[in-house]
Amino acid sequence: MSEESIYGEYKQNLERILNEIVAHIRRYTDEEYERSGTKLHEHLIARVKSEESMREKCRRRELPETPYSALHELTDSIGIRIVCSFIDDVYENVRLIKSFPSLEVVTEKDYIKHAKPNGYRSYHMIVKVKAPFKDAAGNDPGEYFVEIQLRTIAMDSWASLEHKMKYKKNIANSDLIVAELKRCADELAACDVSMQTIRNLINYS
Amino acid sequence: MRLLLAEDEKDLSRALTAVLSHTGYETDAAFDGVEALELLEKNDYDVIVMDIMMPRMDGIEALKKIRESGNYTPVLLLTAKAEVDDRVTGLEAGADDYLAKPFAIKELLARVKSMTRRNEMYAPKNLRVGSVTLNIEKQEITSENSISLALKETKLLEFFMLNSEKELSTERIFDHVWKNEEGAGTDVVWVYVSFLRSKLQAVNADIEIVGEKNGSYMLRSV
Repeated sequence: MSEESIYGEYKQNLERILNEIVAHIRRYTDEEYERSGTKLHEHLIARVKSEESMREKCRRRELPETPYSALHELTDSIGIRIVCSFIDDVYENVRLIKSFPSLEVVTEKDYIKHAKPNGYRSYHMIVKVKAPFKDAAGNDPGEYFVEIQLRTIAMDSWASLEHKMKYKKNIANSDLIVAELKRCADELAACDVSMQTIRNLINYS
Repeated sequence: MRLLLAEDEKDLSRALTAVLSHTGYETDAAFDGVEALELLEKNDYDVIVMDIMMPRMDGIEALKKIRESGNYTPVLLLTAKAEVDDRVTGLEAGADDYLAKPFAIKELLARVKSMTRRNEMYAPKNLRVGSVTLNIEKQEITSENSISLALKETKLLEFFMLNSEKELSTERIFDHVWKNEEGAGTDVVWVYVSFLRSKLQAVNADIEIVGEKNGSYMLRSV
């Protein structure tokens, strides 16, 4: 049983959907670049969650290790992270992603406008995409979840540092480090906001 | 430095205005308590010199109203009466100092100077307008989120917060925040107002800075 993928027969569908959304993002990004010379994102990471971490997550959530759990109880089998230079580009990407055909936004959280108490900033979306093949819940056309995170370069480097902090146990002076990380998040946010403002001043002067 | 003089004796007012202006204080004269309050509504002052005995509203009453409104601009009371009770009433109503008439101009100037010096030293560490708290020491604003400010952004926002709901001209702002700085031009005001606007938005503030480039600006609730 463990030889077989947790995604079962749907595994290649995940790759197909991922590729199509990435192609959509690259298409509008290229168009914008040709039109205005603006690079709407700095880089993009797209992945289907590995077999191992998906099984681990099911166990952690006490879900049976089945395609249904992986694809319908959990929503992050397909994940995309878009990292932008400027804050406004994040919102522009959000707008343009929504134009992907037969895409439905399930949840949307703006942690840029509403930063988490620890200073975390990012834009999170969970979307559902209709695809011309069946899914693990028996729908045909099937429905597949995609998790999309969008943030600036500064937010991205902060998040990776915070991630390290979270998974490392027994850090000395952890209260102080948490407070300093928060201060750092606010300073990076200040830079992001100032850079955006300067870009606007340049564009509209 | 901007100074408000409230004195009902016309000759004395004229003489004091001349000396104060000559010394470098941009001086506005009011001739009674009501007029003084009206000027305070409209303008920001670094120091107030006020007579106690005035028609319409006396100095003590006006002073109480000034303090009630949350305005902590230093006030020097001028008193004709040399009575101890009068001085005590004045100080208790919120005056920072008093001077009994007749006085030497030299002493008036020295006291005004000492009060404005003190004002800079005892400026509050936190200011709050609407949902926004400015922590001057940490150079940070907090509303729903918090975000860091640059030094000049802090000074500029401090000035706006101490004078919220008042129109402040580009020149006045420039003089207050960038005075004596080489190479600075009034264009910098617009740039820093733009920075502050974005940062206020970034913390979801319920206050905003209104006004056009090179004109007057006002901090007010959204």
